This record gives sequence, C-alpha cells and structure tokens, in this order.
Amino acid sequence: MATDFWASSHYKRWIVDRATLKESRSDDLQYVDDPEYLDFFAIFFANVITKLGKKLNFRQRVIATAIVFFRRFYIKNSYCETDPFIVIAACCYVAGKAEESPVHIKNMVAEARLFFSQQPYGVKYFPSDNSKLAEMEFYLVADLECDLTVFHPYRTLLSICKKESSNDLQTEAGEVGVGVDDGPRYWGSGDGQLELPDDAFQLAWSIINDTYRSDLCLLYPPHLLAITALYLAVVLHGPTRELLQQQSHSVEVTPVHSSPRRSSRQSSSTSLGHAKKPSQDFVAFFAELNISMPLVATIAQEIISLYTLWERYLEDSDLVDSAKSAFHGHAQAQLGASHSGVSTPVENLDDAQRPHGATPTFLLQVLMRMRENRLSDMALASSGRPVAVNKMLERTQAAG
Amino acid sequence: MHEEWSHTLLQSDPMRFYRAKRDRLHQAVTSKYTILGFISSGTYGRVYKAQSLEPDGQIHAIKKFKPDKEGDVVTYTGISQSAIREIALNREISHENVVALKEVILEDKSIYMVFEYAEHDFLQVIHHYSQTLRIQIASQVLKSLIYQLLNGLVYLHSAHILHRDLKPANILITASGVVKIGDLGLARLIYQPLQPLFAGDKVVVTIWYRAPELLLGAKHYNKAVDCWAVGCVFAELASLRPIFKGEEAKLDSKKNVPFQRDQLLKIFEVLGTPTEKDWSGLKDMPEYQNMKRLDTYPNRLAEWCQTRIRSQQGYDLIRQLFAYDPDKRLTAKEALAHKWFQEDLRPTRNVFFPVSAHHLPPQRRITQDEAPSMMGMPAPTQAQTLSQVAPGHGQAQGQHLSQQSQVNLSQQSKPGSTASFGSVSGGAVGSFSGGQGGSARKKPRIG
Repeated sequence: MATDFWASSHYKRWIVDRATLKESRSDDLQYVDDPEYLDFFAIFFANVITKLGKKLNFRQRVIATAIVFFRRFYIKNSYCETDPFIVIAACCYVAGKAEESPVHIKNMVAEARLFFSQQPYGVKYFPSDNSKLAEMEFYLVADLECDLTVFHPYRTLLSICKKESSNDLQTEAGEVGVGVDDGPRYWGSGDGQLELPDDAFQLAWSIINDTYRSDLCLLYPPHLLAITALYLAVVLHGPTRELLQQQSHSVEVTPVHSSPRRSSRQSSSTSLGHAKKPSQDFVAFFAELNISMPLVATIAQEIISLYTLWERYLEDSDLVDSAKSAFHGHAQAQLGASHSGVSTPVENLDDAQRPHGATPTFLLQVLMRMRENRLSDMALASSGRPVAVNKMLERTQAAG
Repeated sequence: MHEEWSHTLLQSDPMRFYRAKRDRLHQAVTSKYTILGFISSGTYGRVYKAQSLEPDGQIHAIKKFKPDKEGDVVTYTGISQSAIREIALNREISHENVVALKEVILEDKSIYMVFEYAEHDFLQVIHHYSQTLRIQIASQVLKSLIYQLLNGLVYLHSAHILHRDLKPANILITASGVVKIGDLGLARLIYQPLQPLFAGDKVVVTIWYRAPELLLGAKHYNKAVDCWAVGCVFAELASLRPIFKGEEAKLDSKKNVPFQRDQLLKIFEVLGTPTEKDWSGLKDMPEYQNMKRLDTYPNRLAEWCQTRIRSQQGYDLIRQLFAYDPDKRLTAKEALAHKWFQEDLRPTRNVFFPVSAHHLPPQRRITQDEAPSMMGMPAPTQAQTLSQVAPGHGQAQGQHLSQQSQVNLSQQSKPGSTASFGSVSGGAVGSFSGGQGGSARKKPRIG
C-alpha cells in the first residue's frame, strides 16, 4: 500500500545495514586516500542536488526523493566507476516525475548543464543531447529496481506536531498544509499531537533536511528520523528546553504562566485530555511513542556526528534551510547538559589528529583521481600489467 | 601517460564503464520469456502473451511501451509520466483483486512490464453475453463481478490511489474467475500531493464513465469519481451496453476542455437533471451556466433498473453509486457493505461458479500476424496451438472498438491508458482510428 510504510518497497527493500553500506564502498575505498573523503562526498553531492533542485523550483520533498535515489544508486555502484553529475541529473529528473512535479527533459538538461558548468564544479562535458540523460534515466530506474515511491520524515513530523500558529510557515517552502489529510500514521504511537513553537518546529524540519547529507535515510525508517529530529529540536530550542527542564525538576508542579507556550495554548482548541494538563509533558510524549528511545539516541548521535563532520566541510555559501548553525560549536554541550538520556557524548575531537576540512574543489579533484586510477587499472588489468596500489591495503599495512 | 587518455575518456564518455557493466549483467526479455502472441495495442504500445522460461512456465501479459522515436530512429526521450506512475504504484501494491506486476524490464530503449495473465475482461464478458449467448448475465455472476471490483477498489482507495480510468476494458478476470483491476496508467496517489490533481491531467476517465463533477469542470475531485465509474460498469454488465453512451466533445486546438453537453444529457435522461437539493455544490461548478441551458429530465433510474437489475437492493446500490453529489455518493467501502451483497444468492470467489461450462467466455484471442517484430519471434507451432478463436468473437470486437477510442487525454497523460492489455481480445481486428470511432455510432440509450 502506498501509504503503509511497513508494506512499502522502501521498508522491504531499501533499509540497509552498515555492513551493506560498507560493502558498497569497497571499490571506492581502494582508490581514496582517506575514507573520510567519501563521507564528505555524501555532504557535497547532497548539496549539489539541493542546489540544482532549487534551480528547478523543486519542493523540498522532491529534492529529498532525488537524494534518496542518488544514495540508493550508490549502494549498487561506485563513485570511481560512474559520473555523479549525470547520475544527479537523472535522479532529479526521475524524482520530479515520481513526485508528480515533472520537468521537461530539455529544461532538465539545460539547467543541469548550466549549473554544473559553473564553479566550483566546472563540469564541461555534461552532454547536451537529451537522449544521454534519458539513457541514464533508464539505467537509474533499473538500478532503483523501479521502486520510486519514497517515504520521508516530513510526513511524520507533520502528523505528530501541532504547530503553535495556525497559519503555515512560508519558510518551509509551503510544504506544510499541502494535503495533510486523514491518512493514518504508519507507525504505532500514543495519541495526541505534540504542540511545538513555530521556531522549534522549523528547527526540526531543518534537521530533517540535513539528515539527507548522510546515509541516514538508507539506515533508518523515516519516522525514526523525524522523531529524532523532533527530539533534537526540543532539546536545542531554548524556550522549549527550559520548559523541559522545569518538567523534569518538578513533575508534580505544572508550569505556570512564565512559559511562552502557555498563552498561545489557550487560544488553540483545548481537547478534553489536555484540559487536565495545562502543559504538555515532552518527556512523557516521547515515552508514549511506540518506538525505541535508545535507537533514537543512537540516531541523534549520528546526526551530531554529521554536523561535526560538516563543520569541516567548507563551501562558500551555506544553505538557508539547514539547522547546521543551531549545532555550531555548542551542540554537544547543550545536549550533554540538557538531557541525561543521551549518555554518550560525542567523541572528543582532537583537531590536530584530524585531516583538514574539504572543499568542493578538493573533493572534485579526489573524485577525478579516483576515476582515472580506476580506469587505468581496468585497462591495465586486462593487459596483464600490474595495477595501481590498493589504497585500502596500503592503509591497513601502514596501521600495522 | 595513461592518465591523459583516461582523463579524455572520462570527459568524452563518462558513463562508459558503468553502461558496459550494466549491459553485461542484463537479462534480456527473450531470455526469460517466450512470446506466445500479440494481444492488443494502443497508443501506449503493445501487449503480448508470454510464457516464463522458468520451470513453472507461468503465463504472463507483457506490456511493452512504445519506444520513443525521432523520425525513424528509436531513441531515448525520457520515460513518460504515466509509465513512471504505473510502475511506481504497481511496485507498492498487492491485492488479490488488482493485477499484480511481476517485474519491469528496461531493455533496448523499451519498457516491458510483466503482469500476471488474466484470461478475460469485463468488456469481453459483456460481448460474449450480448453477441454470443444473447442472454443477460445471471444476477449472482453480476453480483460477484461487482463485489470483487469493489473489493479491489477499496484496497486502492485505502492506499490513497485513484484509478481514474475504470471501465470494462480495464477490469480483468482470470481463468479461475477472480476479478483483477488493471491499467494503473492514469492512476495517481492522492496522499499529500505536491500538485493539485487537475494540474497534471486535464481530462481523466473515459467519457462514458466520467463522473458529473468532472463533466461540469470540477477542479477538485476525489475517490468518488471511481465510484461513479463502478456504477456505470455495474449498469453496463446488467444491460450489456454502456448506460451513458455520450459523444465526446473534443479538445479544441488550444487544448481547452469543452463542455460535455451530450454526455451530460445522456446522464440526465436516466437520472434526471440534478438540482441543488441533490447536490449543494452544483451551482459552484464551472460549467453550471452551460448546464442550466440544457433541457430538464425527470429521474427514470427505477424504471431503467426494473427489467435490467431485477432486485430492489441492486437498484438501491446503483442509485447510491449514481448520487450526483460526490460527497453523498457511496464510497467503495460502503458499497462493499451494501445489503445487496448479503442477500441470496451471494457473491462467489470464482465469479463463473454458477456458469455452465458451455456458457463460459472464450479464451483471450492472440494473434501472430501483428508480428511482434520488436520482440523475438516465438516458434510458430507452439504459439498456434495456444491461439483459440471463438466463432463470432471477432465481429463483436469490431463493434466495440469505438469504446477504446473514446478516451481523450491531455498531452501530459498517457494516451495509451485507453486500452489495457485486456481491452481487445482480438487484436487483429483493426488498428484504432484516431479517436473518431465512437462518434458515428449512435444508439438509443434507454429501451
């Protein structure tokens, strides 16, 4: 069923484990100097897709679907054997159709060609021939096993959150309020919606946008990503966090009018259940969800790791719809202080031991080197001459 | 040195190695299936009957989308929106009363969708009864057909899928008598759409089965359009001819959707002219002013049903499926729970259960002469034995081809959704003549 996540192709075929992801990178690992570059690729290419998607006037959900297609494609393929820019254009082209926001192939080729030819990409070889993109679409759809319906965390977020203000947020590119209908939640939970201040909701939304910069969308079901984003947003959002702390300090005492949430709550409709409780208990809300909180904590750690990595990724202009700034520098401290549920703090980073950050230009050079070496090796292997040094082997040997 | 040439190659043909690898791993359609013959064609492409080369030797229907052509050269121009929809939806769904997609093969610039095979379809059954047997469909069979159709539709609707092209040709029946809704080429997910429904496809549903809200130009419509179509199919099974057989006003040169005067009149002649009492939203319909200019008619549905449906409950069901107000129209779920299905004789799992063997509809006709040249030719001996032509069947086809050519779709929607692979039992009868077939033939609607 197209609205039943547990019966979907997404759940049945496209949630993979870490071992599978590692295996899918095995060829790339032979050609890359530092495995971390591949993690930077995940950020870099998601940014490329997002920017191209904006040029095409795609909604956030279409962009997210394109990124998921891209990641699914690279479960089966290697960066060193493919051209990610052509793959990206095909992912956007198919995602547009899959999300009922089609772009004509001519426009797609024109936009992609123009965008990729600019700095920092400087891709001059993108084919102007429509049929090249259409051909790639064919291969892509086959590699995606024709599973083109993708579930996203946004839906869960919308279904479990009641926003403070009644009018839709324009900053969400109009996503909210578009056909939010009577569809059932596809994951079991307690009833009732979480009431959230607009900016906390927006923060959760942006965190979800950011999860697409990693493989999280391949590893976890979207509703868990949504709940984790919500959890991080509640913890990171100043006023909400205060409320949370009040609640945890005095469970019996209901917060008084000092909370900014109170005033607006009174104007919103008060259900019978809420009438007894003047303010919602966030901790209880999360506890009542029929999900594994330790798993949420694990995902939260992975999101924070993503932000830590992203800190060292240098791209001239940051994306406006990211929650990155909320995490800047003090994300770990806030988390550690505010909620003991996350017991393991992010591993301490010793900056001196880490390689320096990556820029798009640098990553493109890495990619081109990987691809050239791979190509040479394939040619040499067939001619019987020795192949280039296996970087993975080299690293292992160096490590002893 | 090698870096230079590899660099050049990566610039000139960046996906060369990827393609080589994929092509090496590809399993050709003809390596997995034997094509037994040709079933039907439409603007979307062709449908073949095929047998799996796996040990089970299952029979399938393979829908091959027409490859794109630029001049005479077959080339890639992008997968159509409707093919993407049909593929994407079919990959997610699974229900006994919906045709199952076994696999999709993308090969040589063509898309092959491999479906479970269904021997019959509603249109063929209607022909069989009207032309060969010349009797009505027994009410228990009728009940089973509608029950299973509704059962499949409840599933689609619960998955937030609108079919948008329900008609006898698209509703199949397996040899074991199980109804299968087919052809999701015009179907759409309506869960949290990013675009309003009308933005994509200006015209949906074949004209004879099109709900009044669509005929009156409604921009927003919902699952109720499918329920109206079920009512039309129900009536057609009962009377063996389309109940509202109107003439479609064609899109003008600017692709504006015209007022469907004739089709509305056909509906009014049976159901009476709608009033605001029936349908409070009526006066807000874009075509309301045009509609007011039409002659008015009283409701004659009860009279229409008397000889054709012969059951008070059956009449009540069809009456509620034909509610003018989409909000008052029975939903698929409500229809499935209708008393008619609970009264004797009850629906059966094999719809043909009460039908004596010599009254069963013939096997789907397949042909060799519309040579499946685009696919490997099967061994002729094998194919011929499977091809069974029922006497008189070909005639029936010719008469009803008009039905296939009735759909008129906007450019974005797939023209081919007109005919599913089940639509024409004898593909050799003739190719479709560009959508004009239906206009010349006028038949009395009532009586």
